Amino acid sequence: MALAPLDEEITLDQLSADPYPIYRRLRAESPVLRVAATGRTLLTKAALTKAVKENPELFSSDDPHTPMKPAFRAHTLMRKDGEDHFVERKAISKALTPKMIKSDWGPLYEQMAEEYVSRLPRGETVDLFSELCGPLAARILAHILGIPEANDEQMQRWSQVLIDGAGNFGWKPELFAASDAANDEMDALFGELEHKRRAEPDGSAYSVMLNADDPIPMSQIYSNIKIAIGGGINEPRDALATIVYGLLTNPDQLAEVRAQEAWDRAFEEGIRWVAPIQVSSRRALEDTELGGYDIRKGDTVMTVQASANRDEEIYEDGENFFVFRDKNPHQAFGNGPHHCAGAHVARRTVGKIILPMLFDRFPNMSLPDPQAVIWKGFGFRGPINLPVILN
Amino acid sequence: MIKVTYVAQDGSATTIEAEEGTSVMQAAVSNDLDGIVGECGGSMMCATCHCYVDEAWEERTGARSADEEEMLEGAAAEVTGRSRLSCQIRLDPSLDGLVVHLPEEQL
Ligand code: FES
Repeated sequence: MALAPLDEEITLDQLSADPYPIYRRLRAESPVLRVAATGRTLLTKAALTKAVKENPELFSSDDPHTPMKPAFRAHTLMRKDGEDHFVERKAISKALTPKMIKSDWGPLYEQMAEEYVSRLPRGETVDLFSELCGPLAARILAHILGIPEANDEQMQRWSQVLIDGAGNFGWKPELFAASDAANDEMDALFGELEHKRRAEPDGSAYSVMLNADDPIPMSQIYSNIKIAIGGGINEPRDALATIVYGLLTNPDQLAEVRAQEAWDRAFEEGIRWVAPIQVSSRRALEDTELGGYDIRKGDTVMTVQASANRDEEIYEDGENFFVFRDKNPHQAFGNGPHHCAGAHVARRTVGKIILPMLFDRFPNMSLPDPQAVIWKGFGFRGPINLPVILN
Repeated sequence: MIKVTYVAQDGSATTIEAEEGTSVMQAAVSNDLDGIVGECGGSMMCATCHCYVDEAWEERTGARSADEEEMLEGAAAEVTGRSRLSCQIRLDPSLDGLVVHLPEEQL
């Protein structure tokens, strides 16, 4: 068999500006394609992306050359396989169960959502993205992780710096210098809080990991918290902004969502439509084959869940936001062993608490100029502003 | 082929014929059954394949592992003594006729 065709036309700028028309074309013409600009083989069909993620024996997450290592100053669980990954994952996921959120944290998250939503000015144009989506996601995450002493600004800045570092495939020194500085700040805070989180166990991720019967090493506890900071703000933030956009630009659906209180379905559809994490990478451990093409040992394939989530084989009219589709087996949280550990948290906080509250407090919220909303991102994607009038 | 019956909350039952060696989750998902999501594909990472084993079958499906137990804590619906992750129940001939009940919600 042959290697997949090589594309030298598609640019990272195009993918960041609007990847969806490209993915649509690739699904139809070339679902396995080596894209020079990414240095990877892009997989754009749902069956392919799922098959790769669910076969960690053949497609490893372990990337010895990932910029994530210098960015986090650690080999994080995101880039480990098998038992190594499982042990660390288990250590943190205990703090992220729905039970924990419902019974231990629910009232606190409601109260924080309440506080952030009620300080928004009424009757004016407000950038919901920067005024609500980001800060609230940061505040809730700080509590989940057990570092509420970090403020919203710090949480958001650390998150961005870690993400920039993890995506620093050009190995620019200034990005790693920034992540080093952020790592120092985080390490100092974690160190300060250690005693308290040990002495007063509270169900937060830090506390749960510190007080486990058989705790993982301290260095891994730190890197797990950092991973959660890196990934735990932009996803709920972008999901929230995307769903609000989807509902405000589809008033008939919004009315129906309200009538049925179908906020959870709106949540699932929002993240299907524009997945906050659009792509992931896996490295082939053996020579193998995908969709009729050879994949060589050591090659990196990129599973494009953003595209899988609009695959015509699964979705009718997948390009459009439609809350009430019959089935919605999206891959926004990934598949396989690395299925997002924060999925339950996101579903509960965004879907069950924030969305209904926001539309309840501002029943006539409107988006006067949908064209003014700018969407961006290839690896991570969402609106970067959301100017709404709150009423 | 092994028959598995899934009983939904409203009492409606669906029987699926599955191949030996597949899991109760896989059988459901590949037949497009509502009520089992199986988001992680059977890696025991999502708890969206929760089911309750019918009393009559409890013995034969065996006990849940410690890891499964922990993951079940993440299930969206109430977890009982008969709760299992359906991706962890492998179908062999001794399970022909298995009956499982579906929870109210998976997500
Ligand atoms: S399919 Fe995810 S835990 Fe069973």
